[in-house]
Amino acid sequence: MSAAVEVNELVKVFGEVRALDGLSFQIRKGEIYGLIGPNGAGKTTALRITSTLLLPTSGTVKVFGHNVVDEASEIRRLISYLPEEAGAYKNLSGYEYLEFMTKFTAKNKETVKETVEVAAKISGLEERLKDKVKTYSKGMKRRLLVARALMTKPNLAVLDEPTSGLDVLHSVHVRGIIKQYVEKQGVTVLLSSHNMLEVEHLCDRVALINKGKIVAEGSPAELKTKYDSANLEEVFAKVVGFV
Amino acid sequence: MFKGLFNIIVKEVKELVRDPKILLGMIIVPLIMFPLMGFAIQTSMEAAEESMESISMAVMDLDKGPVAENLTNFLTTLNVRIVEVDDLNLTEAVNYIEQSNLTGLIVIPPSFSNNITEGLKAELDVYTVFRGGGIAESTSSSAISALLKTFEEGLVVQKVGERFPENPETVLDPIEMSEKSIIKGKDVNIPPDVLFGLMMAQSTGMPVGIMVLLIFAMQLAATSVASEKEEKTLETLLTLPVNRFTILVGKLTGSIIVAVVGAVAYIVGFSYYMGSFAGFMPAETGVDLTAIGLAPTPISYLLLGASLFMALLSALALAISISVFAEDVRGAQALVGPLSILLIFPMIFTMFTDIYALPFPLMIVLLAIPFTHPMLAARAAFTGDYLTAVIGIVYVSIFTVAVLYIAARLFGTEKILTARLKFRRFRLRKRK
Repeated sequence: MSAAVEVNELVKVFGEVRALDGLSFQIRKGEIYGLIGPNGAGKTTALRITSTLLLPTSGTVKVFGHNVVDEASEIRRLISYLPEEAGAYKNLSGYEYLEFMTKFTAKNKETVKETVEVAAKISGLEERLKDKVKTYSKGMKRRLLVARALMTKPNLAVLDEPTSGLDVLHSVHVRGIIKQYVEKQGVTVLLSSHNMLEVEHLCDRVALINKGKIVAEGSPAELKTKYDSANLEEVFAKVVGFV
Repeated sequence: MFKGLFNIIVKEVKELVRDPKILLGMIIVPLIMFPLMGFAIQTSMEAAEESMESISMAVMDLDKGPVAENLTNFLTTLNVRIVEVDDLNLTEAVNYIEQSNLTGLIVIPPSFSNNITEGLKAELDVYTVFRGGGIAESTSSSAISALLKTFEEGLVVQKVGERFPENPETVLDPIEMSEKSIIKGKDVNIPPDVLFGLMMAQSTGMPVGIMVLLIFAMQLAATSVASEKEEKTLETLLTLPVNRFTILVGKLTGSIIVAVVGAVAYIVGFSYYMGSFAGFMPAETGVDLTAIGLAPTPISYLLLGASLFMALLSALALAISISVFAEDVRGAQALVGPLSILLIFPMIFTMFTDIYALPFPLMIVLLAIPFTHPMLAARAAFTGDYLTAVIGIVYVSIFTVAVLYIAARLFGTEKILTARLKFRRFRLRKRK
């Protein structure tokens, strides 16, 4: 069985900064794979390259066998990307925003309607979808965006810090959405987070990333056993030599 | 290639039109502010006109001669209400007119009539009460001066008539000048200053309109891209299965639509504002520009439209290319703002002078600015100078293609997300 995502020796340099330094990992179809690490570790850059927003300086990234460098349009048909702390068009209503996003992939009006209904259920925003996005709280906006990312049943959902900046209740809701929906639809997920407890709860496998390199990889249980730790935060601290 | 274009255009228009700042600044303010300004001016003009119809003057006749009497009768005939204050001294008369609602005071000194009859210089003192310097006061004062001047001219004609009884007016105005204009090789029986006035009135509005439209459009396009960057919606948009050139075209089209609506609102409001002066302007000359070949033809309009469209496209592409380097809306507006110089200069020069008559280096600089050309095309539309319009369209098209190429390149690469314009800060070291 071929991998959903294959990343080999990925390097990305911005001016004098080496954001990614030989990153390699593979994601199996249908699994939730987490990139975890501190701010500036290179998580977002890796996700942006996988989502065809940035080009690699060297190395290769393949999504369902398509290379990000010369098959970007094929990849864009298969993925859905949720940027960190992204907003939505504030002068559109929640419905209008979802409709706008759906129309790029939907075949007809019926599909648009069905997809938006799916998103309405996922988000749980119900009547508030009629209101303009600018009236939403941060948590509501994030729920809308997560719903947008998952409503089209993408082959790969790339979620950058899906619960960043949210309070406990909204975080729990968003995590619930991802877990339930992904299991039900068989969507492959690549997500990043610096919240290691969240990743432990959501991910089948994780890669600990530091200074643009993977320093450890495996299932949360494997990593905790291997490094004799109570949670992934401890694992990370041990791996980078913090303790 | 353009799959999803309509979807993007609709989104762009909704986003821009629903933005309260844009709605207020580009549509509501021109449609309300200008008519309100016009109304205020119209009301004050009407008040001034009314005040002219009801001029009241105090007259202190210390002469009591025939010419003084003629003067008083002359003013009365022309609806000036006269209040005689012969029995007051000057200080009392001044106090009186200040306290009453009179426009001013005319003092006719002794020997006024005698001096005029004897051919000597006669004096006349006119006092106007300054109450606040409004338009009504100014017009009343000017009206009195004009009436006295007319009376004086009548005296001159009378004096000359005594010497040249057959044709005193010919002595005063011995040359009958007949001014004509030559247009496209044909002489037309219209004085050139009348023609210039008409041309100015018809063609100066266009550069202002073009400038406003292009500034609107540039600010819109810059805001459109920068707000997507600021909100990170651009990142999502760029990962959707839609061609990036389509996104660029969608943004350009959305901005064009809203800019045109904004410009129309501005022009409608501005026309109303200008129209508020119309009733106070001299009557039309009755010159038919179509009959003398100075009215735009359908071809002129077509060329003007093409020139304007290309300039609009280049302005938008330029604004988008520049706003790519900004991180947020404020940054984008700050970067695009200086571009308005490229619009203001051509507007001023095309309004007040012939660009081709300027010093060569200045002319080249102005012609190199693409936004000069629709303004030149607007003027050429009246003279039927199609060649100027066509050359301008070709030049602006080349410029537009180049800028669009740059914008498309920026949109097609990661530069759209990573480009930043860095302003180095120079710090002055404090001397110890």
